[in-house]
Amino acid sequence: MTSGRSQPDLKPRPMDALVVLFVVLSAAIIAVLVYGKRESENLTATVKHRGETVAQVVLDTLQEEKTVTIDGKYHLTVTVTRDGVSVTESDCPGQDCVHTGRITKAGQSIVCLPEQVIVTMEGSSPSPDVILG
Amino acid sequence: MKRFACLLLAILMLLSLAACGKTAEPEKQELFAMDTYMSLAAYGDGAREALAAAAREINRLERELSRTIETSDVYKLNAGVTATVGDETAALLCRAVEYSEITGGLFDVTVAPLVTLWGITSDSPHIPSQSEIDSLLPTVGSGHIHLDGNSAMLDEGCAVDLGGIAKGYASDRVAQVLAQYGVTGAAVSLGGNVYICGQKPDGALWSVAVQDPKDTSAYAMTLELTDTFAVTSGGYQRFFTGEDGTVYQHILDPRTGKPAVTDILSVTVVAGNGTMADAYSTALYVMGEEAACDFWRQRGGFDMVLITADGRVLYTPGLAAHITQKGASYDFRQITT
Repeated sequence: MTSGRSQPDLKPRPMDALVVLFVVLSAAIIAVLVYGKRESENLTATVKHRGETVAQVVLDTLQEEKTVTIDGKYHLTVTVTRDGVSVTESDCPGQDCVHTGRITKAGQSIVCLPEQVIVTMEGSSPSPDVILG
Repeated sequence: MKRFACLLLAILMLLSLAACGKTAEPEKQELFAMDTYMSLAAYGDGAREALAAAAREINRLERELSRTIETSDVYKLNAGVTATVGDETAALLCRAVEYSEITGGLFDVTVAPLVTLWGITSDSPHIPSQSEIDSLLPTVGSGHIHLDGNSAMLDEGCAVDLGGIAKGYASDRVAQVLAQYGVTGAAVSLGGNVYICGQKPDGALWSVAVQDPKDTSAYAMTLELTDTFAVTSGGYQRFFTGEDGTVYQHILDPRTGKPAVTDILSVTVVAGNGTMADAYSTALYVMGEEAACDFWRQRGGFDMVLITADGRVLYTPGLAAHITQKGASYDFRQITT
């Protein structure tokens, strides 16, 4: 028995190989761009004073300890090292910012209410959406 | 022609895959209000407007409930005369009295004169003498609050501070505001008073970490939650160290007029009501482990996590399925019913 319709030619051709190669290469490039970038995104400390960003420090690139000073009604010293960030000195009442200690993970923060200073950590590692404490 | 169509299709598929690597960023809002730092994040078409409205609501509540703003209802009430307060303030005072009675007076907004005496979070904290404390202890007790509709009065020498309940109430109001704007998901932290609802765009629930009271750079545990309120109370951040080296934390025991002496480092309450969670977290901290567990068994209606000074994390059964990470330095135990 014969069919009236002609069978498609399924024999691979050089152009098919080119298409496959293009798709594989594109997938590899996109994977590197998307996931490679994520892995190299560094832990970054941001210091805000009364709503203004006064310093942004990428921790991994630090060669030596860095200090950020805040001079307002109260005076704070924020110390940034490769291992984390802390408010090491403050003359604010309460000293909550100093008591917070060193933060080391993305999503964590230090707050000085009297001087309205916020130190936050952002980075590539998964972090909680909110922190209770 | 078919070959080029396949190529085009492949490119489109690759581009769509590339988008999988990114999660949409929420709208964010941060503000200093009610003597704390607040951060709000929300997803949805009306998220930006919702957060702006939530911030306005928080600022409005601060103007009504602050103890230090001279035009506030609470300031007028503390001035020592019969004050006409707004419906909201009257209702919140009623609830404060109710929670005081429920907790046997361990949550009490009339502890305000003692808070001022100690000044633990003020410019000049100091250790008062026993006679100073004794002279103020009679002013503590919810029975000193007299309410008649919108008319409120305190007994002589008494004062109220709604700081232990106002942020919880604000979180309840924020929840209502966000619902009005139809946000699809939100995570709100009003200085430790958390409200979370809905989901993230990828369908994930919210990851809520409980800070390790012994190491503020670590988490004692992480929970996956949604559509609930959560509040943590503890004495490990707000305190001052006296000249004798003694650490005085900021949560006072209304029975003694002194910083609470407790075997708990922090209490986290998870509940369907922010105001209640706020009041309970303070009272449970003052109670200590045994009384806190008994309170939960008798009243129910909420979940809790107690982190004890001897290194245990005690959690109610309702949270068991929500725990996603456990801190390695703690012994985790479920509280028995």
